[in-house]
Amino acid sequence: MSEKTVATTKIAGTWPWALQRISAVALIALLGIHIFMDHFKGITEEHSGDTLITFFDVQMRLGQFIYVVIDYLLLAFVLFHGLNGTRTVLLDFDRFGKHRKALDIGLWILGVATLVWGIVILFPFIQGD
Amino acid sequence: MDLSPRMFKWLFGRNSEFWPTNMKTGMWAWIGHRLTGIILVVYIFMHLSFITTASLGDGPKNFDALMAVTSQPLLVALDFLLVFVVIYHAMNGLRVVLFDVGLGIRRQKAVFWAMMAMAAVLTVVGLYFIWHLIFPGGAA
Repeated sequence: MSEKTVATTKIAGTWPWALQRISAVALIALLGIHIFMDHFKGITEEHSGDTLITFFDVQMRLGQFIYVVIDYLLLAFVLFHGLNGTRTVLLDFDRFGKHRKALDIGLWILGVATLVWGIVILFPFIQGD
Repeated sequence: MDLSPRMFKWLFGRNSEFWPTNMKTGMWAWIGHRLTGIILVVYIFMHLSFITTASLGDGPKNFDALMAVTSQPLLVALDFLLVFVVIYHAMNGLRVVLFDVGLGIRRQKAVFWAMMAMAAVLTVVGLYFIWHLIFPGGAA
C-alpha cells in the first residue's frame, strides 16, 4: 500500500484540506452551542416543566435573532464539512477519483440545494410571531 | 480502489493493514473518524427532514406530533448515541487539526488517549443532562 500512498492534500487539493480544518474548528464552537442550548438545556427549562419540545418553544427560541444566525451558520458549515468529507472518502476509490470533476459538481449541487432546503424550513418558526 | 476479490484480500486480509491485530492506534482512530463522519452526514439529512414537518400540512401540529414520538425514552437513548458519535468525531478531529499545525505529533498516542479522556468526560456531562429523559421518574 505504501508505494501508492499519496498525501491527502495532493488528492483532494490544498483548499478543500484547509477549509475542512477551518470548518472543523468553527463547528466545534457552533455545534457545542446548538446541541447544548437547543436540545439540552435552554429550551426544556424555559418550557413549563414539561420536557417535551414543542413548535412554540422553537418559535420562542428562534424569535431571538442570534439563534437564527447561529443555526444558519451551522447549516452552511456543516454542509461544507460533511460533503467535503464525503468527497475525501469517495476520492479514495478509483472509480470516483477518475471522475473528480463530475463528483465535485454533483456535491456542489447537492450542497446548495440542501442549504436552500435548510434555510426555508426554519421560516415557519421565524415568521409566526 | 475497486473491490475485486484480490483487492479485498489485500485490503482486509490477514496481512493487510486493516486486519485488527495489525492495526495501530492511529489506524483505529482513522477508521472511527470515517465511520462516525458517514453516520453524521446521513443524520444531517434526517435532522432536516424532521424539521421539514413544520412546513407541511398542519405545520405546528405535525411538528409537535413528531416531537412527541421522538421524546420516547428509547429514541432519546438513540439520540444520545448520536451525541456520543459527535463527541468522538469532534475530539478526534481536534487531534487531527493539532497534528496538522505541528502540535503533538511525536506524542500522537498520548494525544489520542488525552482526547478520548476528554470525550469520556463530555459524554458523562451529556448523559447527566439527558438522563431524566431516558429514565423518566427514575433515579437522579
